[in-house]
Amino acid sequence: MRPVLRITERVVASARAGLTVRHRLMVALWSLVLALLAGCSGDDGASGPGLAPTLSGGDAGGFLQPGPDTGLRFPADFGPHPRYRVEWWYLTANLTTAEGEPLGVQWTQFRQGFRPRSPDQAPPPADQWPLEAAWMAHGAVSYQGQHRFEERLARGDVGSAGAVAEPFEVWLDDWQLQQVAPRRWHLTVRSRQAEPGFGYDLTLTLNRPPVPQGDHGFSAKSASGQGSMYFSLVDIRIEGTVTLDGKRLQVAGQGWFDREWSSQFLKQGQQGWDWFAQHLDDGDKLMAFRLRDAAEPFVSGTWIPAGGDPQPLTDAELTLTPLERRDGYPVRWRLQVPSEGVDIEVTAPPGRYVNDGRFPYWESPVRVSGNRAGVGYMELTGYGATDD
Amino acid sequence: MTLTGALLSHYRRHPLQLAALALMILLATMLWSGVHQLTGQARDSLARAEQSLSGGREAVRSDGQPVTVDDFVRLRRAGVCVMPWLEVPDPDGPGRLVGIDPLAGQCLVSDSHSGRAPALDGDPFVDIHRAATVSAATPVDSPLHLIVGESPGPLPPGYESAPFQRGPDTGELGRSFLLNLDALGALVLMITALLLRAVYRLGQAQRETSFVLLARYGVPDRVIRRRLVLEILLLSALCIGPGVWAGSALARLLGNGFGASLEGLFDLPLYAGGTDWLTPALVMTAVVVLACVSDLLVPARCRAWLDRGGRSLWPGVILAAVGGAAVLVVSGLAATFAAVAVVFAGVGLLVPTVLSHLADRLAARGVDELRRWRWRELGVMARRLALPVVALQFTLALVLAVQALVASFEQTFEGWLDQRLAADWYLDVPAGADAGPAADWLAGQLAGVDGAAWHRIRRGSATVASIGADDGTRASHRLDLLAVAPIGPLLTRWHLLASADRPWDALARGDGVMINEQAARRFGWVIGDRLRLGEAAPGAATDGLPVLGVYADYGRPEGEVLVAGSRWPAGQTPSFEGFAIEPGTADIDRLIDGVTRRWGGEAPEVQENRAIRASANAVFQRTFVLTRAMTLLTLVLAGTALLVMGLVFITSRAWYFRLLRAWGLSGREVFSQLLRLCLGLTLGVALLALPLGIWLTWVLVGRINPEAFGWSLPMAVYPGFWLELLVLSALIGLGIAGLMRRSLAREATS
Repeated sequence: MRPVLRITERVVASARAGLTVRHRLMVALWSLVLALLAGCSGDDGASGPGLAPTLSGGDAGGFLQPGPDTGLRFPADFGPHPRYRVEWWYLTANLTTAEGEPLGVQWTQFRQGFRPRSPDQAPPPADQWPLEAAWMAHGAVSYQGQHRFEERLARGDVGSAGAVAEPFEVWLDDWQLQQVAPRRWHLTVRSRQAEPGFGYDLTLTLNRPPVPQGDHGFSAKSASGQGSMYFSLVDIRIEGTVTLDGKRLQVAGQGWFDREWSSQFLKQGQQGWDWFAQHLDDGDKLMAFRLRDAAEPFVSGTWIPAGGDPQPLTDAELTLTPLERRDGYPVRWRLQVPSEGVDIEVTAPPGRYVNDGRFPYWESPVRVSGNRAGVGYMELTGYGATDD
Repeated sequence: MTLTGALLSHYRRHPLQLAALALMILLATMLWSGVHQLTGQARDSLARAEQSLSGGREAVRSDGQPVTVDDFVRLRRAGVCVMPWLEVPDPDGPGRLVGIDPLAGQCLVSDSHSGRAPALDGDPFVDIHRAATVSAATPVDSPLHLIVGESPGPLPPGYESAPFQRGPDTGELGRSFLLNLDALGALVLMITALLLRAVYRLGQAQRETSFVLLARYGVPDRVIRRRLVLEILLLSALCIGPGVWAGSALARLLGNGFGASLEGLFDLPLYAGGTDWLTPALVMTAVVVLACVSDLLVPARCRAWLDRGGRSLWPGVILAAVGGAAVLVVSGLAATFAAVAVVFAGVGLLVPTVLSHLADRLAARGVDELRRWRWRELGVMARRLALPVVALQFTLALVLAVQALVASFEQTFEGWLDQRLAADWYLDVPAGADAGPAADWLAGQLAGVDGAAWHRIRRGSATVASIGADDGTRASHRLDLLAVAPIGPLLTRWHLLASADRPWDALARGDGVMINEQAARRFGWVIGDRLRLGEAAPGAATDGLPVLGVYADYGRPEGEVLVAGSRWPAGQTPSFEGFAIEPGTADIDRLIDGVTRRWGGEAPEVQENRAIRASANAVFQRTFVLTRAMTLLTLVLAGTALLVMGLVFITSRAWYFRLLRAWGLSGREVFSQLLRLCLGLTLGVALLALPLGIWLTWVLVGRINPEAFGWSLPMAVYPGFWLELLVLSALIGLGIAGLMRRSLAREATS
């Protein structure tokens, strides 16, 4: 699951009416961006600095709400869903360098709709600089205890950012993930500053068809029915180069790609989530998440055996236990799937892997130990200074 | 009756006085806050244009085409941090809105190490979608800019970065222009204060007996004073609110013209700004309170001293002399204005005293009793009506000077337009068409035709550097370039402000250049200075071309260099190309037809002299609309005040007029005395305003204008207008007398 951009109806209205910024620059641009993306400042304070989404309950503002009957359609679902409010394309890669050192790469691109649009409806003309959607991209490299991160923003329907299903392409400025051949994609990301900077050029080979998460692709996010459409590519072979401060590193490894969209993910009161995607050594995969609540957390996941059908996991079949904290983030966890005999520990390497963007959150590669070995990624959101 | 009721009963008996006070506060607030708002907004725009964008650069297309949203996408997809910038007129008021995309601009913020990213705070910045919507609804084309920040790095092929400038470096001129308006505003405020004080004090004099009565009833003096302050504060509060509101309405009304002239004159865009309510409200309250009740705050002993000082001529003489001398020697606009203020203060002290001295002396010399009485009475009036008299004098002087300035400007501009628009027809060459063959054909057609003249115009820009006596090249400047060929009678009619010997012949031979007055003033270039056009080619001769003449070039801020057609830089594409044609006895339709065929049939834009002249005049008119509105309203204010004052004053002297009846004069004869008295006063004031007005004209034209606009004007006086002012003063006098007569008649019957 990915950080959700916070937005309220009020902000959509003010954005639509034409925004006027009121404070000194830095603040000005930022506040406008925040107004666009983050919702009103009022609930900023209430929900802490974390990523905890406050997609307010009830009215979805004309956006569609997914459900168990929605179903997945390929390849269309690789493209954008303008009738839904929020969606993202997400890739993590557990790579190793030629010297055998582990290196983690993350790339995410978000779309935040302000006004729903049916897919057959023509987009507004670009020269009107429409404000019907905003895009955000995150790129990060984790290597030798160092974490580098950059965030990009763009307005939708102008052309500088967008996505198409076929041939598959997702782009924002000069960052792009695109299909270059059947079952072969290419990802390019380059930070604005060369030093200290980073970039990567990765070729992705897709080895397994999309895996639907949850109930035929509908992934519940609470007991009361909120949720999202969610599928993953869990077996991706990755090769390419990563550039760090002008130095090129040859890398290879495996990746995990997520597509998720919805209009209302979370019910009110949910503070954040802990999300895990694990590649186990014998080819089995595990996706697990926990949505934190003032009361009982909502736990869910999917067991994806190397050769079999994915098995949805309920909170009775999956246990997530934080074991150790660093800088306020739980960096070591115990994950248990008794039905599969899985009892593993997931640990982040030394370092601080916080994506310091508009909404800081933890995004780190992890090492798996216990009764199974492996690697994976972990995302922890909603851990602000005031958090539990 | 309560104390409040007792105090306010005065205004029940004299509602006109209350109305006059309220109206004056309201009008003055409107006038001043309107001007304050516009100049404030303009100053803000200036600061923003200068600071927020200084050092900023924009991406432009190498082929010179305007950038579009496609270019934005191309640059972004190439990894360049560009932010769109779309300026549109504010649909809800004067000024402009700037549409930006904060999402795209976010990279400018993070790229800026120094934290000196463009200050895009608050008004006038709006989301670019709103600006684009406004732009789509307005007929005026709003060009898109792509801001790339201070150090954009290399751009993809087909693009280059250029300084993002909102016009030439005319900040100083623009500032001076605003200072001019502010000074005018301050003068209006000063005149208002004088008038207010006059009306208020007269009322106080009438209320003196009721104050004494209240004191006898045991009401302490300080309680009365407090009530009076409260009373004036209440009146201010009631009038200043609507006044400020009317001021913003006035600013909105005049704003577009004001914005257009700022842009036309100084290339300074007027951005939309918020309304500042507080400053005008506070300043006006302070002015009203100071003008009306400052006496109550000054100890009685000081007041007595001030009153005695008022009788002497010396303070006024000294102030006027010092101020006058200062105007001659000081430099800088602010100092000049301060010196002018000192002169005004001196004259203000002097005039009532001189008037009353004069009247008393004339009275002493007269033999006819009635005449002597009249002179004495005039002397009393000059003393008692000192404040409104001075205010009227100032206003008349101001009106006179502004009129002279505007009229001489108009005249100069007219003459200049006559020279500039010597031809009857103007043809714009369509973009991409080759004007060369058309020029050759035109030359053949018009050779020997009676009364015919023509030339080809090319406009562009060039880097111009002056060459010093040591043959070293001085700093170069980017100036407009105007090339004309052939140099014919359409051009040689131009009046040159300065020139070398036989300048047009030399220009035609390509042996020199001419520059406009703006360039001459800004860079200090004079006749004979040598200028080099274009970048110096390595090894090329650097002796440059001498300046042959300086020509007037009104209504725009840019410096310009005029050269013969043969001096047009090889390979440079003109930004504009056209023909000026005076067909004489030839048929213009045939000529246009022939020219069009020479460049492949695309019809040129044809403009008639009259249309261009009309649009030029419209631009000119806009420049002074604010100044004119201010002076006119001030005159109305002063006239009204004097009317009210005269009425109140003469009512207080009614006893003397009734005495005239007792001496045996008929009603008609008494009115005749009254009439002479009133006319004597207002005409006397008008006559005294003349020298002050002429002097102020000289200051405006000779000292302030070159600093504020960058060009000078010949000084002219307009006696016809003096006469008009005298007639106006006489009408005010007649008005007072008329009102007096009614009031005397009413008192006689009651």
